[in-house]
Amino acid sequence: MKTILFAFVSLFSFTLFSQTTISGKIVNEKGVPIAGANVYIEGSYDGTSTSENGTFSFTTTTTGYQNLVASSLIYETSNTAIDVAHFQNKTIKLRDNVNALDAVVITAGSLDSGSKARVSVLKPLDIVTTAGSAGNIVAALQTLPGTQTVGEDGRLFVRGGEANETQTYVDGMRVPQPYGSSPNNLPTRSRFSPFLFSGISFSTGGYSAEYGDALSSVLLLNTIDEPDQSKTEISLMTVGVGLGNTQKWNKSSFSINSSYINLSPYQALVPQDIEWKSAPQSLSGEMVYRYNFERGIFKMYAAFDASQYVIKQENINSIDKITVDSKNDNFYFNSSYSGFFGTNWNITAGLSYGYNQVKTGIDLDHLGNAENAANMKLKLKKSFSNRFKLSFGADYFITKYDETFTRNSGNKFDYGYDNTIGALYTEADILFSKKLAAKVGIRASTNSLTNDNFISPRISFAYKMAKFSQLSFAYGDFSQTPSVDYIKFSKNNQFESEKASHFILNYQYSKEGRTLRAEAYYKDYSNLVRFDSPTIGYNSIFTNDGAGYAKGLDLFWRDGKTIKNLEYWVSYSYIDTERLYKNYPTQVTPNFVPNNSLSIVTKYWIMDWKSQIGFTNSFSTGRPYNNPNETQFMNGKTKSYNDLSFNWAYLLTTQKILYFSVSNILGANNVYGYNYAIQPSANGEYKRSAIKPAADRFFFVGFFWTISKNKNDNQLKNL
Amino acid sequence: MKKIITTIALLVAVISSAQGQFEQGMGKAFQLWKEGKNTEASAMFERIASADKTSWLPNYYVALVNTTSSFAIQDKTQVNALLTKAQDALDVEMIKDQDNAELYVMQAMIYTAWIVMDPMTNGMKYSGKTMEMYAKAEALAPENPRAVFGKADFQMQGAKWTGIDTKPLCKEVDKSIGLFATFKPETPFSPKWGLDRAQAALKNCK
Repeated sequence: MKTILFAFVSLFSFTLFSQTTISGKIVNEKGVPIAGANVYIEGSYDGTSTSENGTFSFTTTTTGYQNLVASSLIYETSNTAIDVAHFQNKTIKLRDNVNALDAVVITAGSLDSGSKARVSVLKPLDIVTTAGSAGNIVAALQTLPGTQTVGEDGRLFVRGGEANETQTYVDGMRVPQPYGSSPNNLPTRSRFSPFLFSGISFSTGGYSAEYGDALSSVLLLNTIDEPDQSKTEISLMTVGVGLGNTQKWNKSSFSINSSYINLSPYQALVPQDIEWKSAPQSLSGEMVYRYNFERGIFKMYAAFDASQYVIKQENINSIDKITVDSKNDNFYFNSSYSGFFGTNWNITAGLSYGYNQVKTGIDLDHLGNAENAANMKLKLKKSFSNRFKLSFGADYFITKYDETFTRNSGNKFDYGYDNTIGALYTEADILFSKKLAAKVGIRASTNSLTNDNFISPRISFAYKMAKFSQLSFAYGDFSQTPSVDYIKFSKNNQFESEKASHFILNYQYSKEGRTLRAEAYYKDYSNLVRFDSPTIGYNSIFTNDGAGYAKGLDLFWRDGKTIKNLEYWVSYSYIDTERLYKNYPTQVTPNFVPNNSLSIVTKYWIMDWKSQIGFTNSFSTGRPYNNPNETQFMNGKTKSYNDLSFNWAYLLTTQKILYFSVSNILGANNVYGYNYAIQPSANGEYKRSAIKPAADRFFFVGFFWTISKNKNDNQLKNL
Repeated sequence: MKKIITTIALLVAVISSAQGQFEQGMGKAFQLWKEGKNTEASAMFERIASADKTSWLPNYYVALVNTTSSFAIQDKTQVNALLTKAQDALDVEMIKDQDNAELYVMQAMIYTAWIVMDPMTNGMKYSGKTMEMYAKAEALAPENPRAVFGKADFQMQGAKWTGIDTKPLCKEVDKSIGLFATFKPETPFSPKWGLDRAQAALKNCK
């Protein structure tokens, strides 16, 4: 009896655990064997690792159809349905994992920073530790190739384009007024404190179909998804005070950052070339609220800024100085949700609203304007595989702008414009292999003010030539509503959108802490706005028959490896550009473009001093200016520009930092251009005055204190 | 009667065989790991994880093996692949159980490995998160020696940059050594590593 039972049981278990051999070979796409790959039958213990020559063999007790999994680190995991009985000496091919760090990425036109960037041109700390940037995001970006430093303006000028040709986006939503207001010929600042942003992508051309209404460039800023901890931050500076607080809960967090800036104490100490009746002062604040859902994140960002100044500015056309009294209120709000649903679907929906009001008194006249701008956006992205992703979306912009000019005499002029832009776009990301990638998109838009429609293609390719180097190419058509300076007079004039096409060829070499980028481009402008009067005014007649081009070469080299504790980068830009626009009689190089620009940024960490010391040198050749005493238009050229800035951050303790910076150490007498009198003087000569910085040097001393549980955190990143 | 016996016998055979397979597999994986065959060890743990979805240990060890392997590697592509694998494995278990201190310690180690890979880029991003993970682990299991030691050790590593006083941290390391002595792993395969590292760290204190 027992024997029978035993025999029965063992027979049964034999059938249960009868063993079949599975064998074969694992190779990559080129047929090269992969050693150490993990091969197993899903849900069982049966499996093995491949040998040196890629072969495997193991026995299994499973029967019938099973899922055979083959995985190896840098390859895509394969799942093969097999019949256990008939799987011997078979070959399985693993495809390259196109998400791997060494896979190709399209780099033409874009300069990325932050965690998502494979090759960071700027690191998160850079914005704030770059000497001369003083925490201004835009000032740090001006040390990158493809930008022109326009000292008297402060905004971003990209590759021969005007400042308004760059659009700024926060969390994917447009920011209609990214800069604070400033007096004529004195630089403005970006409104955003670098503190709240983790990723920056700065595109100098050829950007994605997701973005429109920008002729030259887009600047994409992303707020931090999740702050690391709750903390309070205090800053005491020679120019004002700041207070920040972050609260972090289980699924949500809230950050608020406010500052009061008043330049009068500083100006009392350091003599200025400019007579301020009331030094610039501003009260500003930003806040971000984030809520993390299971499969998505909701973000709300709001910023306000109230600033004012009274200045007495010299004017070549009048004996007395002109008093300019300005008040600016700005509010910006944006909320967005981004999350996953279904199988590999991603949705992004957002809404932004910006309000900007400027009230300026010019002697006894008064100029007031108000802009309301909103942006709505919906974007869907489906990832079909690692190799093919498709996105499509819709964008809607509404802008309403009103301006009133009141003369002392009581005469009042009202003008302005309303505009809506609707756009649809679709774009495909295709990875043919680890070496070849493409992004192909198209954007269709319609503009109510200019009453025109556009179909704009955007194409880019990247090819990886060798382990550390790759080549990218981008082409795109772009259109933009003309500048507010013109279209506010659209009552009597019909405008058309301005147009540009970009061609970009990029080479990038990147290896362990060293990056070299070389980018050649050609940009073709058409439909640029022209007017027929000396200055833009109510009576100007506008046409859209302007044109232009820009071509050049941008070089960038970054190295953090060769010398220990030294991080440096060098940017060089050569540009050849001419435009027939504004009231130019002929096609010439505009007055904001120097042909050659060179920036050298260094940062050196001295352990013994617990200090980071940095130097930034910006050099550019002379800029054109128009001298009415000469017959040829725009024939003058300023002398070259140079600025050597220095900064020193000293860690008193981990959470207390003393920071010092000074610009233009060498005291170079920089001239940005000249203002000429409208009327010649008695001897027939047009008199001029130089456009110069408000003071030769700018000194800054600040003390930054972080209070948090984790004693390692500090505000080094804010400097 | 016969039927019952047969059924019982079969049941016992199946169960003991399954039990045996888990233990055998884990034993073999540890053996491979000890021999320095990290890829094979990780593969073995991965196979066990695929077969036995009830235990959090196989995926935990997939994460641990790949993270510790990454410390010895310079090539960023390789490190990125290892840490991605570690994170994927840990994510599987983290979703199932949010109250396991060992998983938080593991998460802190993965963050630390990202910092080691590129301190300039990842330092600011992950140091706060690492501390947060250790804090969570300590809150869940104040007596867990790896949580106590890991937290102190991480701050000590940063001390040469931040200049904070290491004395209180040394005290914590000392305390963790005491906890290692009394720590009782739940199963033979449960995490029990770390004493040697704590002892080495304590030597630097003197």
